[in-house]
Amino acid sequence: MSTPVKILMVEDDHGHAKLIEKNIRRANISNEIVHFDAGQPALDYLFSAEVLANGPLLILLDLNLPDMQGTDILAEVKRDERLKRAPVVVLTTTDDKTEIQRCYDLGCNVYITKPVDYESFAAAIRQLGLFLSVMQAPHIE
Amino acid sequence: MAKLDTRRATVQSRRPMRDAIRDVLNQLNRFARERTLGRSIVLALAVALGALLVANLSTFVLVQRTAQFNETVDAQWQARRSGRVLLLNLKDAETAHRGYLLTGQSDFLLSYRAAIAAQDTLLQQFRTRIGTDSEGEGDAEIVTRLSRDKILEMDQTLDLYRQGRALEAIAAVRSGEGQRLMRELDAALGDVDQRIGGEVAEATARSEGSAAFTSVVNTLAGLLILVLAGIVFLLVRRYLDEVQAKQAELDRVNAGLEETIRNRTAALTRANEEVQRFAYIVSHDLRSPLVNVMGYTAELDQAGRTLEGALSNAEVERAVDPAVVTAIREDIPEAIGFIRASTEKMDRLINAILKLSREGRRNLVPEMLDVTKMVRRIAESVSHQLDQADAEIAIGDLPEMENDRLSIEQIMGNLIDNAVKYLDPKRPGRIEVRGRDVPGGWVEYEVADNGRGISERDHERIFELFRRSGRQDRPGEGLGLAFVRNSVRRLGGEITVESTLGEGSTFRLKFPKRLILDEVGETL
Repeated sequence: MSTPVKILMVEDDHGHAKLIEKNIRRANISNEIVHFDAGQPALDYLFSAEVLANGPLLILLDLNLPDMQGTDILAEVKRDERLKRAPVVVLTTTDDKTEIQRCYDLGCNVYITKPVDYESFAAAIRQLGLFLSVMQAPHIE
Repeated sequence: MAKLDTRRATVQSRRPMRDAIRDVLNQLNRFARERTLGRSIVLALAVALGALLVANLSTFVLVQRTAQFNETVDAQWQARRSGRVLLLNLKDAETAHRGYLLTGQSDFLLSYRAAIAAQDTLLQQFRTRIGTDSEGEGDAEIVTRLSRDKILEMDQTLDLYRQGRALEAIAAVRSGEGQRLMRELDAALGDVDQRIGGEVAEATARSEGSAAFTSVVNTLAGLLILVLAGIVFLLVRRYLDEVQAKQAELDRVNAGLEETIRNRTAALTRANEEVQRFAYIVSHDLRSPLVNVMGYTAELDQAGRTLEGALSNAEVERAVDPAVVTAIREDIPEAIGFIRASTEKMDRLINAILKLSREGRRNLVPEMLDVTKMVRRIAESVSHQLDQADAEIAIGDLPEMENDRLSIEQIMGNLIDNAVKYLDPKRPGRIEVRGRDVPGGWVEYEVADNGRGISERDHERIFELFRRSGRQDRPGEGLGLAFVRNSVRRLGGEITVESTLGEGSTFRLKFPKRLILDEVGETL
């Protein structure tokens, strides 16, 4: 492993973001986490030179954002030649069937519904952390 | 009082007739007063008919007159002819007379006698044909007189001849008396001819005049009819134009109406979709902060436990304020417990709304349902609870229907669950499911129980979301019946309840025998 995978988290709710980060850390994941609370700054960052230089990337995406839909970001990422290989984990409150289908159609790699019950929520995030610790992310070239 | 009634009865019995007549008169009056197209057409047609009638009448009169004229002319011609025949016959007699006087041969005498014998008949004929008017009688008189005088003269001459006085007889002939009589007769008949000719000419002139008059009348009537026909044609065309214009306007209005209905339907559909979408969004957006509340409550709990863990060290416990110990050991866990319970409840409520909104968006698939079989299966699934409650369920012969399987299963399941859930423990439970076909393409089902029943004032409330009735000693969020009513309405049916507190409840469902959906999958 050359460069560690950077986690890009797009989540408008700071509480959620903090809880997610806490639980990822609890799973002993020490990768850098970059947090954005709106869609446009996240997109700007994704298409900046910095990302190009900084190797593999994993995107944690919420669907309900204040300035756009998470699916818009998903579509942009998967349409881009360089970024399309970056794994995208959709992490959202919606468990609507059509929404899930749409995300997979757009090329999302994992879709996770945030459980309201905190035990389940924490467990889910910790499992995601474990998953992240073993998965391989491609380099962004 | 009785008298009054009788009078009124008579008046009433007379009234309808009078009213009818008045109505007709009013209508006629209106018809005559208002300058309507219909009236103009009727008027024009009436005038045309009148003109036709006048033309016909004048033609008829003309034909009659012509026939009469022909008859007169014929009669007069006959009269003239019979006058001539009479004269000829007399001349024959004279010729035979002269022949006899000259030769004395008896066959001349025979000819003479035959002609004289015929003369009376001919005279009679002439008299008849010349007519009975004064002129005719006068002519007949003269002709008869001259004819008789002539015959007398010839008879006298003949008598002289036969008495052997031949010379005297010839002298009588020579005297010219007979010749004069013949000339007079000829002249009289000439006069008759002339008079009759004059009359015929006059009649002809009259006949021609009336023919001309008739043809003028006919021409005028024809022209009038043509003009009227033109007017009627124009009127009808105008009328047709008007009708067409009205039709076009009606079409336009109709189109507008359809457009309006389409817009309204679209607006309704939009509003409905909006409500569904709203419920959906609200549930999701409510869920998001709930995740935080629950998450940080758990974190707080975790922190509390850490603190409590620290307290388990006796030295530490002694070192801190007893109030802090109480706060850590009791207040914080209690507060966290309430927060948890409330958020969990809120989560359940949100899920309920979500479920309702989702159910409202689910695609319906109508299929033929064996409802009896379906209800039996539902009953089997609650058999355990039934045994526990010492209750039984009776399922009648339920009619089939074409409907959405999942919805009906959920509806029936909910109602049967409720019936089991709210049985009265004081008596053995009995649940009955009945059904029947209803005229007009409907089916009706009933789920009846002898459970605790529902108070009259709650009959509407139980169908509302999150509302429950009676003692709150059973788990539940007040969703089931709200959900049931929502589904039933979506399937184009209705649900009603009959219940007496303490005796039992009957839920009555009514559905169309066949569920028919429109193109967007909504119930028609």
